[in-house]
Amino acid sequence: MKPQVADQIKCKRKKNPVGFICVCVLPTFLLTLTFTIIPTFRALWLSLTNATSLGLNSKFIGLENYEYMFQDEYFVLALKNTLKLMACVPAITIALALVLAFIISQSDLKERGLYRTAFYFPNIISLTVVSIIWSFVFHPTMGILNSFLNGVGLHVWAKSWLGDTSTALWCIAVTLIWQATGYYMVMHIAAMDGISNEIYEAATIDGAGPIHKLFSITLPLMKDIIGITFVLALSGTINLSFTLSKVMTGGGPNGASSVLLQYMYEQGFINGNFGYAMAITVFTLTISIVLSMISRKLTNNES
Amino acid sequence: MKTNEQSRRQAAFMRWLVRIFMILVTVIMLYPLIWNVYSSFKTNNEFLTNAFSLPQGIAWDNYARAIEKSNLLSNVWNSALIVVITLCVILVFAVPCTYCLVRYKFFGSKLILNIYMAAIFIQATFIMIPLFMQMNALHLLNNRPALAVLYATMQFPFAIFLLSGFLRSIPHDYEEAAMIDGCGPSRILLQVIVPMSKPGIVTVCMISSMSAWNEFPVALVMLTDSTKQTLPIGLANLYEVQRYATDWGALFAALVLALIPTIIIFLIGQKQLIQGMNAGGLKG
Repeated sequence: MKPQVADQIKCKRKKNPVGFICVCVLPTFLLTLTFTIIPTFRALWLSLTNATSLGLNSKFIGLENYEYMFQDEYFVLALKNTLKLMACVPAITIALALVLAFIISQSDLKERGLYRTAFYFPNIISLTVVSIIWSFVFHPTMGILNSFLNGVGLHVWAKSWLGDTSTALWCIAVTLIWQATGYYMVMHIAAMDGISNEIYEAATIDGAGPIHKLFSITLPLMKDIIGITFVLALSGTINLSFTLSKVMTGGGPNGASSVLLQYMYEQGFINGNFGYAMAITVFTLTISIVLSMISRKLTNNES
Repeated sequence: MKTNEQSRRQAAFMRWLVRIFMILVTVIMLYPLIWNVYSSFKTNNEFLTNAFSLPQGIAWDNYARAIEKSNLLSNVWNSALIVVITLCVILVFAVPCTYCLVRYKFFGSKLILNIYMAAIFIQATFIMIPLFMQMNALHLLNNRPALAVLYATMQFPFAIFLLSGFLRSIPHDYEEAAMIDGCGPSRILLQVIVPMSKPGIVTVCMISSMSAWNEFPVALVMLTDSTKQTLPIGLANLYEVQRYATDWGALFAALVLALIPTIIIFLIGQKQLIQGMNAGGLKG
């Protein structure tokens, strides 16, 4: 009897319910096609034209938009700013998130649940609200930061943080780190809790301290997760810096805190240069995808 | 014995060191928000004296002005409407799709799954101009349900990524047992798979609703009619206005009003969310 039943099951599993699969997969994929894939390819095509928001007489102009891009000093500035953010924000965010996750997951502090909630909280707030609140943290006269500096006697350091070309971008970086750390921390906690306690116990018996455990057990076992979160953080930095730059500084002063997507928005919706904006879109998308591929490869090679 | 005592003392010292560090981080994480809340009760004169000082009295009229001078209430309603529609679309579309892609091998199943994995990196913000043109061509600008469908679609890759991890971890045995009992695929999906992957589905719902509630760039482009704008857009507009009108009190009050629903949802859903994430991590 038994083998027969098994055969039946195998038979059934091989035959696919075609109708069911179509109903489940096709509508979803159709939506993705309409609202993700087609627009992406459209961006690719339009980046080779001189389309404007008025939609009149768009002509194929080849790679001219791309050539112009690197002569456009404001584009180059936006690119540099974005690269600066990408160089520091994901690394700091992930490092902080790992340390905090390790403490919460491994320490015996009674209140660790509270820390988890508290650190995760900034992440759920609307980025617009975050931007506005942090604009006031950095506000020259009534901001928390300057009041604090004045309070501890460092009047010299106080300045108009968002209005200064040398600091505006770093204000955005700090805000990005502040709001993202908790999110990646929760992801890391989930992965760390998945590591069997026996390994840690064995390490404790061998006399390993917490820092030793972090570097020789937790991090190697979490390589894949860290790779994924790092890529997410890179992509997130490009993406989220738009809202912060738009709301906190408007890209100013004089482009000092403009980022790629913010410049794209300006070119597209304020100047109406759809073709050129699209070239910036494609460029940004390429950076994001290439970077994610590189870091995926790196994490795969190490393991 | 002595070394034991010593190491215990050392451990206690370490614990306090760690605790002080964690408390410091907590202050950095929460103080800007707490400052925002108590400052919303300050009068505009108090704002200019000392940033840290507590308000003298409670200036409720900040809140009255915040509601009066902005479209805050309609903004909240629009955002809520969009979140609800987004969630429905995700549940109806993404869950069955993931199930089929993970459980059945058919022509193109691998390709579609790979397309979704690649699409995780195509954020709506990146393609907002072609999206704008697409919506414009379909006459769907300033249309809230359409924006919600768009949000849901942009969440599909992530939702499918997260759910596929969950679904793969469910042993085939349950489905086989149900099949022997004569269940068709749709009943298996609804009565076996959905209940078993509930933590994953809840996590996807939480994350998607948060991101739809908070989304700024695409809404900025798609919704130009002020009666249809969502909360983030409304707040950004209010900030633009109040930054020159210098009615800080009203602005801070509006921010607090915007925070309240998020806090409530978070406190209710937090446990589910983190549990779901934990389960996802455990099951790989």
